[in-house]
Amino acid sequence: MRIPVQINESSAEPLYHQIESQLRSLIVTGQIAEGTLLPSIREFSADLKCSVITIRRVYQDLENEGLLRTRQGTGTFVTKVDTDDREAYKRQIVQDVVRELIDTARSVGYTPDELRALLDETLREEERR
Amino acid sequence: MEKAALEWRNVVKKRERLDLGPVDLKLYENYITALIGRNGSGKTTLMKLAAQLIHPDQGQMLWFGETYPKGIPVEIRSQIAYVPEHYAAEEDGLKMDDAAKFRASCYARWDWQRYEELLHRFEVPGDKKLNKLSKGQRRKFEITAALAARPKLLLLDEPSSGLDPFAWKTMMNEIRRCVDEDGTTVLLSTHVVEEVRRMADYLILMDRGRSLGMAEKDLLLERCREVWIPQGEELLDELPGIVESAVEMSGMVRFITLDYGATAILLEEAGVKPIRVRALELDEVMEHWMNGSMQLTEAGMKQE
Repeated sequence: MRIPVQINESSAEPLYHQIESQLRSLIVTGQIAEGTLLPSIREFSADLKCSVITIRRVYQDLENEGLLRTRQGTGTFVTKVDTDDREAYKRQIVQDVVRELIDTARSVGYTPDELRALLDETLREEERR
Repeated sequence: MEKAALEWRNVVKKRERLDLGPVDLKLYENYITALIGRNGSGKTTLMKLAAQLIHPDQGQMLWFGETYPKGIPVEIRSQIAYVPEHYAAEEDGLKMDDAAKFRASCYARWDWQRYEELLHRFEVPGDKKLNKLSKGQRRKFEITAALAARPKLLLLDEPSSGLDPFAWKTMMNEIRRCVDEDGTTVLLSTHVVEEVRRMADYLILMDRGRSLGMAEKDLLLERCREVWIPQGEELLDELPGIVESAVEMSGMVRFITLDYGATAILLEEAGVKPIRVRALELDEVMEHWMNGSMQLTEAGMKQE
């Protein structure tokens, strides 16, 4: 099984962190269902062309957060995600993108009001479609 | 602490065309380590020491923590498989299956099912004599036999030479699968950048008989970036790990840093947003590593 994780090499974010946050997001949003058996550490690392050391770290971190569970001899599974966690997480994902948006707007000299106006206008355009 | 499957401890070996060492290296269990470096840098000599085809002049070789100066005992030997770059001629007249039977007798954990399965996947016709096989087929047979032995330590000296791109991909997949199943430690010498990218956990770089150290692949690659910023040549003096820089058109500045993590933080503090950031290719990284620009410390190159 393959997992749709995309590594961004121009990001300053460490590799393990990129993989971890994308995998976390796939699990919390339910795109990878509860009970799913994840690829072995070696398989996943080959898929992403990274080392097993990085993937082991990702699995371990998500295990500590309670999102994954490893059963000796069978592999690593996705555990049940709490509904409250899921909602909080969705909010988090959107907020992260909004922050990035603000960053970009600021770098080209937009004021908060100009950004708000553009956001409203774009929302209206999207609704009309 | 992780256990070492193989260790070169202060090893020196004088060869006709090369003085190797002193070399101090350890392979940790259950990882794939790629051995890279130019031709004649000592990769094959390291391999032969690891297979005990030759003995060190000074220093010690350790297999699973033990040294065997009088020869590796049979039960340990049976946990080590070696695919050399050039094969010994003794088996040439043998049919493939007979050669396999001979090897099966040397390896306690030999797995006939895996042998058949791999030959099938590699599409090697059975029943041929070894000297009647093409270069690629012979390579496939050797890799099959090495994996069928279910070794704990697998030594592969340029395993991809002579393979077409499809066979090469199958080879990588099968090595990976077997290594995953058996928990094998692998030493892989190679010139193929893509092989390193897809297979390796650690890298060892050899240069003129010396080891330039061992690095965790991801940490090494993560550090090396080419960055474009709108302007600010004066910033370059403050950024760490710069090995190359140029002022391009319209005052844009392009530079290569071997410490991107720290560089990114400094750029952000200075309020500079890069226009473009590119990860260096492995061969570029190797070049900087060989030039001695890369400061490798044991702690700096391992994730905690």
